[in-house]
Amino acid sequence: MSQVFHDIEKKIINSLKENSIQTPETLENSTHLSPDQIRRGIEWLKLKDLAIVDETKSSVISLGKNGLDSFEKGLPERRLLNLIKNGPKKLSEIQKELGFVFGPAIGLCRKNNWIETSSDQIILKTTPSELPGEKSLQLIGNNKLPKEQIDKTDLSELSKRPDFVIEDIIKNKKISLTTSAKSLDVSNISGAIDVEAEVPEVFVARTHPLKDTIDEIREIFVTLGFSEILGNMTQSSFWNFDALFTPQDHPARELQDTFFLDGISAKKIANSEQIRKVSDSHKKNWRYQWDINEAQKMVLRTHTTCVTIKHLAENKPDEARIFSLGRVFRNEKVSYKHLVEFNQIEGIVVGKDANLRNLMGIQREFYKRIGITKIKFWPTFFPYTEPSLQTMVYNEKLGKWIELFGMGIFRPEVTKPLGITKPVLAWGGGIERIAMLKYDLDDVREFYNNNLGWLRSNTKCQ
Amino acid sequence: MPVIELSYSRLQKLIGKVSKKQISDSLPFLGLDIESEDKDLVRIEYSPNRPDYSTDIGIALGLQGLLGIKTGLLKLTIKKSKNYSISVKPTISKIRPFVTGIIAKNGKIDDKTIKQLMTMQEDLHFGIGRKRKKSSIGIHDLDKISFPLTYSTVDKNHKFIPLNSEKELSISEIISETETGKDYGHLLGQSSQVPIIVDSDKNTVSFPPIINAGITTVTTKTKNLFVEVTGINKADAEDMLSVVATILQSAGFKLENVHISGAKNSSPKLEEKKISVDSSLINQTLGLDLSTPKILSSLKKSRLNAISKGKKIVCTIPPYRFDIFGPMDLVEEVALGYGIQNFEPNVSPSQTIGQTNPVSLHLKSLNQTMIGLGFLEALNSSLSSKRVLYDMTNRDSKNILSVLDSKSQEHTILRDSILPGLIENLSRNIHESYPQKMFETGNIFNLDKPISEKINLAVISAHKDANFTEIKSVLQTLLKIGFGIQIETKTVSNSTFKDGHCAKILFDGNTIGIIGEINSTIIENYKIRVPVVGFEISLSDSVLKSL
Repeated sequence: MSQVFHDIEKKIINSLKENSIQTPETLENSTHLSPDQIRRGIEWLKLKDLAIVDETKSSVISLGKNGLDSFEKGLPERRLLNLIKNGPKKLSEIQKELGFVFGPAIGLCRKNNWIETSSDQIILKTTPSELPGEKSLQLIGNNKLPKEQIDKTDLSELSKRPDFVIEDIIKNKKISLTTSAKSLDVSNISGAIDVEAEVPEVFVARTHPLKDTIDEIREIFVTLGFSEILGNMTQSSFWNFDALFTPQDHPARELQDTFFLDGISAKKIANSEQIRKVSDSHKKNWRYQWDINEAQKMVLRTHTTCVTIKHLAENKPDEARIFSLGRVFRNEKVSYKHLVEFNQIEGIVVGKDANLRNLMGIQREFYKRIGITKIKFWPTFFPYTEPSLQTMVYNEKLGKWIELFGMGIFRPEVTKPLGITKPVLAWGGGIERIAMLKYDLDDVREFYNNNLGWLRSNTKCQ
Repeated sequence: MPVIELSYSRLQKLIGKVSKKQISDSLPFLGLDIESEDKDLVRIEYSPNRPDYSTDIGIALGLQGLLGIKTGLLKLTIKKSKNYSISVKPTISKIRPFVTGIIAKNGKIDDKTIKQLMTMQEDLHFGIGRKRKKSSIGIHDLDKISFPLTYSTVDKNHKFIPLNSEKELSISEIISETETGKDYGHLLGQSSQVPIIVDSDKNTVSFPPIINAGITTVTTKTKNLFVEVTGINKADAEDMLSVVATILQSAGFKLENVHISGAKNSSPKLEEKKISVDSSLINQTLGLDLSTPKILSSLKKSRLNAISKGKKIVCTIPPYRFDIFGPMDLVEEVALGYGIQNFEPNVSPSQTIGQTNPVSLHLKSLNQTMIGLGFLEALNSSLSSKRVLYDMTNRDSKNILSVLDSKSQEHTILRDSILPGLIENLSRNIHESYPQKMFETGNIFNLDKPISEKINLAVISAHKDANFTEIKSVLQTLLKIGFGIQIETKTVSNSTFKDGHCAKILFDGNTIGIIGEINSTIIENYKIRVPVVGFEISLSDSVLKSL
C-alpha cells in the first residue's frame, strides 16, 4: 500500500532527515509550521510508526510577583541596608519607604545582626557584600531557567519567601525518525489534507423563513385549484368595511383598532350603483345615517377580504376559486404575540353548490397539507359571514387546542348589493401564527427583527 | 370581544339537571370561547352580536336549548298596567330624543345577580350602546319612585344626589368631577340643556346617559325594578330594553309595561317577529339533507319557534334576537341547533386550475437570483418611523404619509423606500460577522390621488471592502441574467449616499432607482464600522412593468 503524506508530515520528515533529534520548537523554526500543525504532524507520524517521541520532564524556574518586585528594587533587606548606609534613620521613615516589606526586611537584618535598633532609630552595623539569593535573583530576572542552572542554596533561600519563585514542570519532547522513516523519500509522494480539522463557518444566503412558509401556503392553494389575486394595502373604508356590512359606528372602525391615513380620503371609491346599494343595505339593516365621507377615509387594510370582495364585485363570477395573500394591519401594542402588521391568507370559493360542509372539507385538506390532522370546528361570529365558524387545531408541542382560521359564507347583505348571486365561501387567518408553530418561536417579533444570528442559523428545511 | 366571568354552580342552578362537564363541553358550540377556568369559575368570551350572552342568565337560556332541557322561544309576558307612565317633553328632541322602559316586580336579587346585571349593563353600554352614545340603561329601585315620570331637559345648575355620592351635586359638577361624568360628558355636546328623568315628587331619577340618582340604587333588599333606556334611535333603545327584559323575566321577575307618550315617543312593543326560510336554502347552504322535523327541532334548540308551511319554515323570533336579519341567519340557527360537531367535512373536487399570480412568480425568480448572488432575504414592516425613514438617513420628509394615533412609536409612517430599513437592520447586527449582505422586496407608498403603491427591491452589502463596483455588478447581473434588462448609471447627488459615489439607475431612459456607497455620517450614526453600499429600484417600473 502506498502511503499518502500530508504536507505537514513531509516537512517534518525532511527536517528530521537533516537534523535527526529535534524538539517541537526547533521543528517550528525549520519547517515554518505553526505549533498546532507541528503537534498534529508529530501525532500522525507517531501513529504511522514513523516517528519516535521521547518525553522527559524537567523543571523551570521563573520569578513570582514578589520575586519580580525584588528583581527590580532589590531584596527587602538590601533595600533597608541601603537606606541606612549613610547614617541612622528613623523607624517611621523607613517603614514609610519600604511599605509592606518593612517587617520581613527588619526581621532578617536583625537575625543576621546587620543592624541595631534603638527606640526609634535603625543603625547600620555591617554591610554584607552579597546576600543569599541575590545573585540567582538577578540571573533569573524575567526569564524561565532550567532548575539545574540555579544555585541550590539560593533557590532554597528564595523559595522560602512567599510568591518569590515559581516552579513549572514541563514536558520535553525529543522527536526522531524511526529506521523505516529514515529511508523514506517523501518528495514524490502526493499531498493529503487534514480532513478532520475544524473549518471556518460560512453563511448561507437564503430566503426568509417566514417567506418560506408564505410560499408553501401559496403552493398549497394553487395545488388545490385556487388562483392568486393581489390588491393594495391602502384601501378606502368602503371596501375594507362598508362593503363588508360593518356599520360606520362599529368599534372596529375606531382609531384605536384601525390605522387611518392622516388626512387622506379617496375621491372615487366605487361606482354609483355599488355605493347606493351598499349604503341602502346599511340604512335598512343597521338603521343609521350612512355617510359617504366615512366610506372615503383611507385605511391600512385590516384584512385581505377587501381585496377579494372588490374582485368579486368587479367580476361577479358564477364559479371561482381564488385566494389573496399579503400584509394586513391592526393598531395594537406590539408584543410577543401581537404585531401591527402581519400576513394573512384568504381563500374564496364561489359556486352554486358551495356549502358549509365543503368549506369545512377544504379546511381539513389545507391543514392536512401543513401537517395538522387533529382539527375541530366551533361556531363564531364575523360581521360579514353567516354561518361563521373557526377552526381549532390541536398542537402536540403545546399540548392544547389553538384557534387558527376563521371561515364562513358571505352574508346576503354583503353579496346582494354588489351583484354577487352565488354563495361565496370564505376563510382565512394569520400566517405568522402557523410559521411560529413551524419554527418553534414564542415571540412573533423575531420574524421582523432581521437578526442575522437567527436568520443564518435557522434550519432551512423543516 | 367582551369577556364575562361565570360560576358553574350558579349555571347548574339556572339550567337544571346538568353536569359541569356538559356545560364546559357545550359552551364552545354556542359560540362561546372558554378563556380560562379556575375550579368553579369560568371566564368566557362572547360575540358582541349576542348581548343576551352578557349574563349567566342569558347563557343558561342558550345552554338549556342546546342540551335539549328547555327548547323553543322564551315568551315575554308583560302585564298591561296603567300605573306607570313617562311623558316626554319636546325640548329633549334635539339632545337624546327617545326613552323607553319596563317594570319588573317580585324578584329576588342576591349579590351575584346584582353583579351579573351590572356587567350586562356595562357590556350593553359598550357594545350595542356604542359607549352609551346610541343608547344607555338605568336600572332603579321601583319603590323609591313616584310615577308618572317626565323625560325632559334641565340646565346645568340642576342639582341632585347622584349614585355613589353623599351630597347633592349640580349637573356641571357631575360632568366635571365624577368619573362617569368625565368619561361620557362629551356625549351631551355643547348644549346648555341636558336630559333628565324626574318623578312626580320632582325627585331626579336619572341623568341619562351619565348617571342615576342615588336614591333609586338597587340593593339586595330591592324587590321591584324600573328600567329605562334612553337613546338617539327608538328602535335601538327598544332592542336594548328587550335584552334587559328577557334577562329579568328569566331571573324570576314579573314584567309590567310602561306607557310612554309625547314628542315622537311611544310605548315599547317588544314584539316577536316572523321570518320564513326555505328548507332547501337550509340544506343547500349547510350541505345537509335534514328532514323538516329535524330542522324544526334544531331551530327550537336555538330557542326560536318554528313551524312548517309547505316548503317554508316560518320562524318566530323573540325581540332580543335582533341579530337575526333574514333567512340566512336562520340557516345558522339550524346549524347551531343541529350541532356543529355533527357536521362531516366534505371535499368537493376542484373544477378549476390554480394559478400563482405572475407578480408573485416574478418576485420568486428575483428572490432566487438574489440568493444566487449571495444575499440573504430580510423582512421589515411597511409601517415604519420618521427616525428610520428620514432622520437617520438624511432623507427629505416633505411627503410623509402618517397614520393616526398609532399605539407603537416605531410604526407611524408608511415607507416610501426600503433601503433605510435595511441600513437600520445592519445597525442591529454589528456584533455578527461580515460580510453582511441582505435584500428585501416589498411595497412602497407615495401620495398620488390618493396613494400609489409600487413594489421595490433594495439590496445592501456591508463589509470592509464594500465598494461601488461590487454593488453595481450585483445590480447589473441581477437584471441582465434574471430578466434580460440592461441598465445605465448616471452620476447624481443624494443625501443618503456619498457624493461622487452615487448614481441614478436608468432603464429605457427613465430613472428607476438609485445606487451608491452610503454616506459615512449615516454609517457612523448607526455605529456601523464597515463601509456600506446598496441600491434600490422600482420593480413595478422595470421587472414587473409589463404585468
